[in-house]
Amino acid sequence: MVSVRKYMPSYLLMLPFLILYLLFTFYPIVRGLIISLQKFYVLGTKRFVGLANYNYLLHDSTFLSSIWHTVIFVVFSVPLLVIIPFCLALIVNAPIKGRKIYQAIFFLPMILGVSVVSSVWSAMLGNYGGLVDAVLNAIGIHQEINWTAQSTQLAWISVLAVTVWWTAGFNMVLYLAALQDIPKELYEAASLDGASGWAKTCFITLPSVKRVTILIVFLQFIASFNVFGQIFLLTGGGPAGATTTIVSYIYEKSFSEFLFGPGAAASYILFFILLIVSLIQLRLMSKTE
Amino acid sequence: MQVREAMPTSPAPVSVRADSALRMGRLTRVLLYLVAIVLSILWVVPSLWILLVSFKPQGSNVLNVASWFQAPYSVGNYVYAFTHAPILLWLLNSFLVALIVTVLVLLLSVLCAFPISQNRFPGRGLVVFLLALGLMVPGEALLIPFYLLFRSLHMLDGYGALILPSIAVPFGVLLVKQFFDGLSREYFEAAKMDGCGVLRMIFMIAVPLARPALAALAIFTFLGSWNNFLWPYISITSPNVMTVPVGIPFFNSSYHTDYTLPATADVIVSIPVFIVYVLFQRHIIRGFAFSGLK
Repeated sequence: MVSVRKYMPSYLLMLPFLILYLLFTFYPIVRGLIISLQKFYVLGTKRFVGLANYNYLLHDSTFLSSIWHTVIFVVFSVPLLVIIPFCLALIVNAPIKGRKIYQAIFFLPMILGVSVVSSVWSAMLGNYGGLVDAVLNAIGIHQEINWTAQSTQLAWISVLAVTVWWTAGFNMVLYLAALQDIPKELYEAASLDGASGWAKTCFITLPSVKRVTILIVFLQFIASFNVFGQIFLLTGGGPAGATTTIVSYIYEKSFSEFLFGPGAAASYILFFILLIVSLIQLRLMSKTE
Repeated sequence: MQVREAMPTSPAPVSVRADSALRMGRLTRVLLYLVAIVLSILWVVPSLWILLVSFKPQGSNVLNVASWFQAPYSVGNYVYAFTHAPILLWLLNSFLVALIVTVLVLLLSVLCAFPISQNRFPGRGLVVFLLALGLMVPGEALLIPFYLLFRSLHMLDGYGALILPSIAVPFGVLLVKQFFDGLSREYFEAAKMDGCGVLRMIFMIAVPLARPALAALAIFTFLGSWNNFLWPYISITSPNVMTVPVGIPFFNSSYHTDYTLPATADVIVSIPVFIVYVLFQRHIIRGFAFSGLK
């Protein structure tokens, strides 16, 4: 107990944070697990039902397809949001005039909220003739396309395009920081040996950004798995539920149907998927150390 | 600590140039300019278009590129938006919530991170474990417990619901701890010798030294709060307590036939973040790179 008294100031300093943390993070984590094992009745009573909610989800085709849709989004968005930001970072890191301006432009959408982004793109893709249709008309493609509702493919393309436009700047900045950490001497030595620009990119730049690429893939994976706002506001999960993702499902179950049990169980499944991804990433990161 | 392994290497100043090392052929250079300019146009057109549309009278043709640069322009949409929706109130709500959240996150993180970084007290491992656990849980997974908690506290649809879930975030503590770990212990030992109390040590020595990390955390927290959508959307139903991200879809849903008013609302709510962005662009971009671990 002597040491506890000795470190009293330490505990007191941490106390405000820890109280709030226990109340607003730790308690909800535990409570969420309990809710996922309960059935809620309309009158506010609840009953312990074991794994019934999880069982319900495994037999709910809407839930299974929401996982599938999320996987589709992850599979397409992660590569796009690694490759495009890397190219953007290469561009703004190159010795060209106006690089600061390009950098600012690519990053700008990142500061806009999801509501503004969705509102802007509703107008761009508008289902009664948006700017994208107008541009297509101008180059001779005369078609009224209902981007967000006409077909599953077009709805996904719209969501992907919006997500890339909105968030590519973030990954670009991470790449940029890594690119600027590469010692200039490496490039100078390669130049003396007569290496071309492309050779330098392939043999110096690419290997040097391996670590940050793992980090970006991981962050993007988590962000893509949690995708919700832009889908909710742009396609509303449509057409016919074809763009409903896991978080959309949690939202619908919990706050439209007020089925908290299955909603909480779905949240926990999401949590476990992300936990596994995090563990894989930690393993990969420590290997490249 | 796992968190340290996940951090990106700290970014060099963004202004470092490497031209001599990256000298390239004429063709590559031309190609590079071409790609840079085309992509920049693609990236900037949506925002620029919305800005122009917001100054067009309701009902005008906004799809013809030529029409963008022709009169009539008007500020009528702005007058209409301000008089027909509590947009100023939403801005104020968003600003106050973001400000309070940011100040509290900074304060709580600094106070909590200092002992974790500097002292080896019993239970330290448990605290770090709890923080790492919290880091792995996506906020989306906590919506239902939050909803039930705030409902039983009778705090749904109020500022408490907007502020409280965002202030005890493990990310802030771990980021600040990371930075405190890098500070030389001699500062603090010398201060202790001089009889300096722990609070003075934190606020007179550690905080000024940790300014870059704190600035990054502040920017990150402020923008995160400003743009937070899902939880406010669920918890807030009165237009008077709405923040900007919730108010905008609410406002837009009544104007399905015209782009001009939604565009105006978009511009109004983006102006404050845009100004902050222009003023602190370097810090913001560096801050984002610095806090690559969300």
